[in-house]
Amino acid sequence: MVLMILRSLKIMDEAKAPLSEEVIDYTGAKLGMWLFILSEFVLFGGMFILYAVHRYKNPADFHHASKELDVILGTLNTIILLTSSLSIAVSITAIQKGENRLSMVLLMVTMALGLVFLVNKGFEWTTKIGHGIYPNSPTLLARPKGEILFFGLYYVMTGLHGLHVLVGICVLSVMLILIAKDRINQVHFVPLENAGLYWHLVDIIWIFLYPLFYLIT
Amino acid sequence: MEIREEGHPSKYSTYVLVWMGLVTLTALTYTIAVRIHPGGWAILVALAIAGTKSSLVLNFFMHLKSEKLLIFKVIIPLVMAVFLVFILLTFSDVAFRGVVK
Repeated sequence: MVLMILRSLKIMDEAKAPLSEEVIDYTGAKLGMWLFILSEFVLFGGMFILYAVHRYKNPADFHHASKELDVILGTLNTIILLTSSLSIAVSITAIQKGENRLSMVLLMVTMALGLVFLVNKGFEWTTKIGHGIYPNSPTLLARPKGEILFFGLYYVMTGLHGLHVLVGICVLSVMLILIAKDRINQVHFVPLENAGLYWHLVDIIWIFLYPLFYLIT
Repeated sequence: MEIREEGHPSKYSTYVLVWMGLVTLTALTYTIAVRIHPGGWAILVALAIAGTKSSLVLNFFMHLKSEKLLIFKVIIPLVMAVFLVFILLTFSDVAFRGVVK
């Protein structure tokens, strides 16, 4: 991911060079980002298969364990992440139209929404841990096997997803600085576009995590 | 030399419409799961809605719809095909465990 961003920065530097022979390959930069995104899909995909197998073998335990999660908080976080996807998408269009200030404001909105998502997630985890439910805890180990598996998958998958949100916020803050320095602008916006693709990827993963963990009936 | 596509900024209104669709689908999947309880179909309905939501994000927010190169068109079906092979292999393993002694 970092490599992708660096690569798109390099392309920008090349764009500044006076040599007209320099090749600026925007499509290449975007394709590289897409390849990275696909590898992320496969990473989470492996865990989704693991989830599917365990759920297939322990349907009742998964059902009981899922009931303990806060559906309202999960739904709220879904709406928050969807809204942040809207704000980053509009932010990219704004930079393409040369409205840098609007673009920066929307980037900050996106980062703020990402932070709110993480804070909610933090509350959720803290409540669960407060009830003694965390990996390898005596309370959890006393439960049926399927519930132990459910909460194990819950912590690993939402944890890895949360880590992605955190990385996304860091990347967006770098984009914010680059816009302020006019290294991302109406002409050279590919790093911002790639950062946006990453943010949407994180959103898509949550779109699947939400029904699989919170909405098991 | 410069290889780049024409900037094709989407309209703000398109994004807002897509976002409204996404929120509506979220409300729909929540209502179906919490109020209607479709029983055995629950997982299929939930995954179908999640699939629809992600195709909205991919096509509009991630601009796959307006990409002109073929590679961007086949990239997602290709990964889904590979993923399907993984699922089939894993489940055929799990389903037949202990059957062959």
